[in-house]
Amino acid sequence: MADSTLALGVEAVGCAAFDAGIKGAFGYPGTPSTEGFEFVEALIHQAGDGRAAQWAANEKVAYDLGMGMSYAGHRTLVTMKHVGLNVALDAYANSALTGVRGGLVLLVADDPGMHSSQNEQDSRRLAEFAWLPCLEPSTVQECYDLTFRAFELSETLQVPVMLRIVTRLAHCRAALVRRETLAPTGLGVAPKASIQDWVLIPANARRRYVDLLAKQPRLKAEAATLNHLVPGTGRRGVALAGMGRAYFGQLALEHPALAALPRLEIAAYPVDPALEQAFLAQVDEVVVFEEDYPVIEERLGLRGTAKVHGRLDGALPRTGELSPRLLKDALGLKLPDGKAAARLDLPIRAPRFCDGCGHVDAYEAMQEALAKVGAPEARVFGDIGCYTLAAQEPMAAIHAVVEMGASISMAVGAALAGETPSVAVIGDSTFGHSGLPALLTAADAGVNVTVVILDNRVVGMTGQQPSQALDQVERMVLGMGIPEAQVQVLLPVPKQHEANVAAMEAALRHPGPSVVVFRRECIQSIRRGVLKDHDRQERERCVSEACS
Amino acid sequence: MNASRIHGIVLSGVGGQGVLSLAQILLEALRRSGLHALQSEIHGMSQRGGSVHAQVCYAEGPLSSPIIDEGCADLLIALEPLEALRYVSMLRVSGALVVSEEPQTDMEGYPPLDDIYAALKAVPGAHLVDTEDLARRLNHRQAGGMVLLGMASRFLPVNDGIWREVITQRFESKGARVTEKNLEAFEAGRGLIKEPVGV
Repeated sequence: MADSTLALGVEAVGCAAFDAGIKGAFGYPGTPSTEGFEFVEALIHQAGDGRAAQWAANEKVAYDLGMGMSYAGHRTLVTMKHVGLNVALDAYANSALTGVRGGLVLLVADDPGMHSSQNEQDSRRLAEFAWLPCLEPSTVQECYDLTFRAFELSETLQVPVMLRIVTRLAHCRAALVRRETLAPTGLGVAPKASIQDWVLIPANARRRYVDLLAKQPRLKAEAATLNHLVPGTGRRGVALAGMGRAYFGQLALEHPALAALPRLEIAAYPVDPALEQAFLAQVDEVVVFEEDYPVIEERLGLRGTAKVHGRLDGALPRTGELSPRLLKDALGLKLPDGKAAARLDLPIRAPRFCDGCGHVDAYEAMQEALAKVGAPEARVFGDIGCYTLAAQEPMAAIHAVVEMGASISMAVGAALAGETPSVAVIGDSTFGHSGLPALLTAADAGVNVTVVILDNRVVGMTGQQPSQALDQVERMVLGMGIPEAQVQVLLPVPKQHEANVAAMEAALRHPGPSVVVFRRECIQSIRRGVLKDHDRQERERCVSEACS
Repeated sequence: MNASRIHGIVLSGVGGQGVLSLAQILLEALRRSGLHALQSEIHGMSQRGGSVHAQVCYAEGPLSSPIIDEGCADLLIALEPLEALRYVSMLRVSGALVVSEEPQTDMEGYPPLDDIYAALKAVPGAHLVDTEDLARRLNHRQAGGMVLLGMASRFLPVNDGIWREVITQRFESKGARVTEKNLEAFEAGRGLIKEPVGV
C-alpha cells in the first residue's frame, strides 16, 4: 500500500486528468475545488511538456478556455465550485449543444453543509438541466477512476461530462493507485463538416438540441454501466449515491444485516428508468442516501410503487450534509454511548482577520469616513473573499454579501434608488472575476457610488493564488471610464490612517462614481513569498527600462 | 488493536496550529504500518484562526467512510484545551485524550482557564501536557504538536521506526536541525506516557 500516492479526493481528479492526457487545465479557485487544480498544475509544471495550467479570471472564462482547447482537439479539465458553475452556466449549458471534440471534463465541487459557501445547491440538477452526463464518485480511488472514465465518455458521446464531488470527499485523503499516464491527446481541430455544430445561431441550435435529446438514451445506457442493482433479502431497500454510498458501505461492514438489503447504487446520471423500475419491483420501502438535493428520492417517489424515505419525508434533515450518524438514525441503528461531554458553555471560535491584515485598516478608515459624512449607519454592499469576515460583529462593516461581483451592481442599484452614500467593497480578484462589467455600468450610470477595492494582490481566501488583476487594478478602473480625479490608491497601514480617512471622505462626498483602491499584499502571501519572484522581475524590468 | 472494527482519531485545534499536518503524519504512519487509513479535514477559512478539526480512520481491512460518529473515536488529540472540550463526546467510553494546556484565548468569551482544565481533568483517560513549558525546556518554540504526537503514539499500532521515518520525511526539506528538534519533541511526548496502551 505504501507505494501508492496519497491524495485528497479533489487532487485525485486532477491527477487522473493529467494521467488521461489532458493538454490543459483551467479553473477559478473556490473551496473545496481549489486543490484539484493545484495538483494538476504541479504535475503539468513538473512534466514541462507544453501543457497549460491557467487560473482564469472567472469560471465562465475557465470553461470557455476549456471549450477552445477541446475544439482544438485536446482533452481538458475545467475546475470550479458549485456556485462557480452558476457563473459558467451560460457556457456549460450551451456546450451541451455544440458538443466537444477533445474530451472535456468539468470538475465541480459541491458544498453540502455550506462549510465555506453561500448556498448548498446541487450540481446534479445543473447536469440534468443541461441534458449532460454527471459522474459521482464516493471514494478517493473512484475520484480517480471515474475521472478517467469521464474523459472516455466525453469523447464517446461527444459531450462535456460533469464530475461532481462534495466537500467531504474532496477533502478526504487516502491512498490512490494511478494508471499508466497517457500522452496528451491531439485529435486535431474540429473538422470543417462540424463547423455549423459549433455555431449556435438559432437554426443550428434547434438542430443541435434535437441531436442532444436524441443522445439521451445513449447517455442513460452509458451511465447504466456505472450504476448497479444489488439484490438482497427483504422488501426494504436503500438507494445510495456519493457519500451515502461510502457511509453505507462502511456501516454494512460493521452491521452485516445491512449488507443483505436490496441496494440501488448510483455513480452516474442520467439514471436509466428501467434500472429504477427493476429496483422498485424488489422493495416496498426505500431509504435514499444522497448528498444535497433529493434528486434520486424524487425520481423514485414519482413512480409511486414503494414508500420512499429521505430528505422529503423527514427521515433525513432537509438541509446539511450526510453523516454516518444520520444514516444510523434513519436505519434505526443504536449509537454507542460516548464519553460525557463537558458541562461548560463553549463559545464559537469564529475565523477572523489575520493579525496585521491590511483589510482591517481599510475598513477602519472607511467606517470613520462614513461617520464623518454623517452616515455612520450607512448600509455597505460587500462581496466574496476574506474581507467578508468584516460582516461579523464587532466590526459589522458590510451588510450584504450575495455573490461574486454583486457589491458594485447592488450599490449602483441602490444609488439609482436615491441611497447615498452608496458604497461597495470588493477584492481585487473578485473585481477581475465579475466586478469589471459592473464598474462599467457604474461609470455609465454616473450616480454617486463609492467603490472600495481591497487589493491584496492575491486570491487570499483560497490559498493566495496570484490575482489576474495583479497590479492592474487602477488601469482597469480608468479603462472602465471612471475619471482619473476620482481614482485614489491608498496604503492601508495605521500610519496612513488620517490620510486614508480624508481620501475616503472625499470619495464619499463626490456626487459621481469614485473608486478607492486600498493596496497592501496579503499577510499570508508575504509570509509564503508568493509574489517574491514576480516582484523581483518587475523591479529588474523597471531598472532596465528606467521607469519611475 | 481490535481487528474487527474501524478505529478513529479526532484532531482539533485552531487554524494555523498544524492540525492538518499532524493528521497527515498520522495517516502516513498508519499506512506504512500496513493498515487501511483515510483522513478527513474541514478547512477553507482555517488559516484565519477559526476552529479546525480533522479525523483519521483506520482498520485492517478496506474502509470507505472518512468520518466517524460521536462516541466512536478511540483517541482525541487536541492542540488547544477549549478545542479539546468541543470533541470529548466524540470519544468512546474507553477512549483516550491527549491535550495541550496551552490556550489560544484571542476570541470572544473564552471561559476561565481553571474551569477548562477542571473539565478536562474530569474526563477519564485524559492526559494533559503543558506544551508551553516543555517547548521552553526543549528550546523549540513549536514543539507542541510533536509532543502530542509522541503521547498519541502510545495508543497507536505504529512502531518507533516508522514514526521516526515519517517525521524525518516530513521535515526533511527544512534541514537536519529542524528534523532533529521535532524527533526530540516526539520522544519527549512519548516519554510522558510510559507504557503502550492498546485502544
